[in-house]
Amino acid sequence: MQDSTLSLLVLAGLAGSAAAQAPAFSTPGMAQTPGPPAPSGEASGQTDRFRSVFNPAFSFVVDVVADHLDAEGDATEDGIGLELRAFELGAQSWVDPDAWAYFIGVTDGETVAIEEAAIHYQGLGGNTTLRAGRFFIDFGKQMQTHVHELRTLERPLALRAYLGEEVKGDGLQYDGWTGLGDATAVRWSIGAFASLIPEGDEQEAELELGVAERKDPGDLNFTARLTAFTDVSTNGVFQAGFSARFIPEASAELNGSEVGGLESSVFGLDLTYGWTSDDARRALTLGGELLLNTGDTIARIDDGGTAEPDDDTLTGFDDDAQLGWYAFVDWSWDQQHAVGLQFSAAEIGDGLDAAEIEAYYTRRFSEFHRLRLVASSFESDAPDADALRFAIQYTVMVGAHGHGLNW
Amino acid sequence: MNLVRHLLLCAGLTAALPALSQEAAGAATGPLRVVATLPDLADITARIGGERVQVQSLTRGREDLHHVVARPSHLVALSRADVLVQVGLSLEMGFLPGLLENARNPRIRPGQPGFVNVSVGWDPLGVPEVVTRKDGDVHPDGNPHLNLDPAGGRHIAARILAGLTAADPQGRAYFEARAAEYGKELDAAEARWAAAAKAWAGRKIVVYHKEYDYLARRYGLEIVGSIESKPGIPPTPGHVARLVEAMRAAGPVVILTAAWSNGRELAEIGKAAGATVVELPNQGGGTPGAETWIGMQDVIHERLARAFGSEPPKR
Repeated sequence: MQDSTLSLLVLAGLAGSAAAQAPAFSTPGMAQTPGPPAPSGEASGQTDRFRSVFNPAFSFVVDVVADHLDAEGDATEDGIGLELRAFELGAQSWVDPDAWAYFIGVTDGETVAIEEAAIHYQGLGGNTTLRAGRFFIDFGKQMQTHVHELRTLERPLALRAYLGEEVKGDGLQYDGWTGLGDATAVRWSIGAFASLIPEGDEQEAELELGVAERKDPGDLNFTARLTAFTDVSTNGVFQAGFSARFIPEASAELNGSEVGGLESSVFGLDLTYGWTSDDARRALTLGGELLLNTGDTIARIDDGGTAEPDDDTLTGFDDDAQLGWYAFVDWSWDQQHAVGLQFSAAEIGDGLDAAEIEAYYTRRFSEFHRLRLVASSFESDAPDADALRFAIQYTVMVGAHGHGLNW
Repeated sequence: MNLVRHLLLCAGLTAALPALSQEAAGAATGPLRVVATLPDLADITARIGGERVQVQSLTRGREDLHHVVARPSHLVALSRADVLVQVGLSLEMGFLPGLLENARNPRIRPGQPGFVNVSVGWDPLGVPEVVTRKDGDVHPDGNPHLNLDPAGGRHIAARILAGLTAADPQGRAYFEARAAEYGKELDAAEARWAAAAKAWAGRKIVVYHKEYDYLARRYGLEIVGSIESKPGIPPTPGHVARLVEAMRAAGPVVILTAAWSNGRELAEIGKAAGATVVELPNQGGGTPGAETWIGMQDVIHERLARAFGSEPPKR
C-alpha cells in the first residue's frame, strides 16, 4: 500500500515535471500540454535574478556619407566615395540617485572604439557634476558633440587643425553652473586627462605625437571653460564662452627620430546667437570662434635631401602662435528644412594658411533621421592640397539618443 | 611655468564659481516659486495660489510644444523653483528632461511635494498598444493634450490644488477657498460651452496634429483624419491626396489647427477639399482673449461655433 502510494506520488511528480518543461508553443502532431503557471505577485517569490527591468536605455546611430572629391594634385585620391562613417551604439542608465553612466561605442566597419564611457556624479551639492571616464572635452560649442550631431558635415577647419577631428580623453572633469539674475546662466568646467593629443590630424599624418603614460600631476593634460548664456528679448539667446586646452609635456616621433619636451596650448573665444520664432518653428543661429594655438606648433623636418617621405627626420619644433577662426549661419525655415554656411580659416604651418567653406541643406524627415547635401571647398598654401567636395549624408538615430544640453 | 598657469586658472575658477552656485540652491522664504510648463497651468496655479505663489510659465502661447528651445531663464527658474507643474504624458519630453537634469533642484524631482504632474488620474486617449516609431512620434502613455478638453481645467485645478497643498500645507484653507471660487467659474464656463456645443455632435473635423481629440470626444465631433500622416510626421503628397479625397467624400469638414501648424499647406488643402481652416489656440496666451485657460476655451468655442454656424457661447 505504501509502495503504491509512493509510486503514484512519483508519477504525479514526473507528470508535474513534464508539464513544467512543456514547449513554449505546440505544432500539429505535438502533445497538447498545459504550460507552467505564470509567476505572479507575491506567489512567485524571489526566484529570478535575470530581470531586465533595470536595463539601461539603448540607442544607435547610423551615419552614412557618399561624396565626390575633386582634389588638386596626386596627394589625395579623386572620385566617388561611399562609406559608413559611423555606427554608434549607446547605453545610459542611472546608477544610483546621484549618478548616471553611459557608454558610446563607435565603429566605421573596420575599427571599433569606445568613444565615450563615463559616469556623471551629481551628489557633491550645488549645481556641480563630477565626470569620470572617457569623454569628449568641454571646449567651445562644437568639440563636445559627436560628428553626426554637427549642423555641418565636418568640424570647422580651425578646430580640426588645432585640436583634432575629435578630442576625447580619459580623465576627470568638474563643472558647475549658477544663475545670475533671472535670465543668465554661467557655467565653468575644469578637466584633467591622461592625454589630449589630437586625433586624425590631416596636416601631419606621419608625425606621431604622444604623451607619457605615467606622469607627474603637472604633466597631465588640462581643459578649462567658462561660458555664460542669457536670454535676449523673448526670442533670442546669446552665449559667450572662453575655452582652454593644455598639453604641458609631449613628444613627437617621425621615422625613428624623436623630439621631447613639447608643449601645446589652445585657447578659444566663442560667440553664438540663436533666434527662434514665436511658434518655435523657425530658427536662425549665428556663431563663431576665434582660436589661438600656441607652443611648439611647427615641426622642423629634415628631408635628408630626398623627396622620399621615409627619409624625413624630425629635428625640432618652433615655438609659434597660430590664429584660426570659424563663423557660421544656419537658417531653419521650419522643422524640416535648414540651410547654412560655414567658413573657417587657420594658420596651419610656417607661413601656410588654409581656408574652408561649406554650404549645406538639411532635410529632416522626422526628429530621427535626416538627409544633408553638402558642398565644400578647401584651399591651402600647401602644395596640392586644394579640394572640392560634394557630399550626401544620411543619419538615423534610433532609441534613447541624447547627449544632454550643449553648453 | 605652465603648471603655475594651470593651477592658477583652475583654482580661480574652482574657488569663485561653486560659491555662487549655492545661491541657486536656496529654499524659498516668501511666496512659493512655481514654474509651470504651459501658460494654462500657470494661469490656473495663479488662480488657486493667489498671493501665496509666484508663477512663471516656461512656454509662450504660440509655441509648438514639441520643439521648445531651452533657454537660460528656464534653467534659472527651475533651479530656484519650489514647485514644478507639468502636464506629463511626455508632452514636455522635448525640453523638460534636459532642463530638470541640469537644474539639480531636489525640491521638484519626481516623488517630492514640489513635483506636480497634472495628468495623474487622467484617463488618456490614444494609449498605443505597441510603442513603435512606425506610428510616428507617439506618446507612450497616451494623448497628452488634456488641457484642450473643456473638462480638463477642472482636473488640472484639482491636481494643482493637491500639489500646492502638499508644498505649502499651511496654505491649505486659502488654496481650497480659492479653488472653490475657481470651481464656480468653471461651472459657469462649462455650462455655456456645453450650451454652445449642443448642436455639434456628428460634425466632421480634420486636425493637423492630434491635439483636439479630447475636445472631439467631449462633443461627439467626428475626426475624418489628420494632416500629419502620423503624429510628428509631416504630410506626404500621397497622404494629402488621400485625405482630400476622404474630406470630399465626408461632406462639410472643418480643419482645426493650432497657430504653429497653420501654414500655407493647410489653406491649399482646405481649398482643394472645400473645407474651412480654423486656427484654435492650443495653450493659453498668444491669442487675444485666450490669456487664461477659461479664456482660451471661450476662444475655442467661439471659433468653432462660427465655423459650424451655431450660436457662440455668451461670456
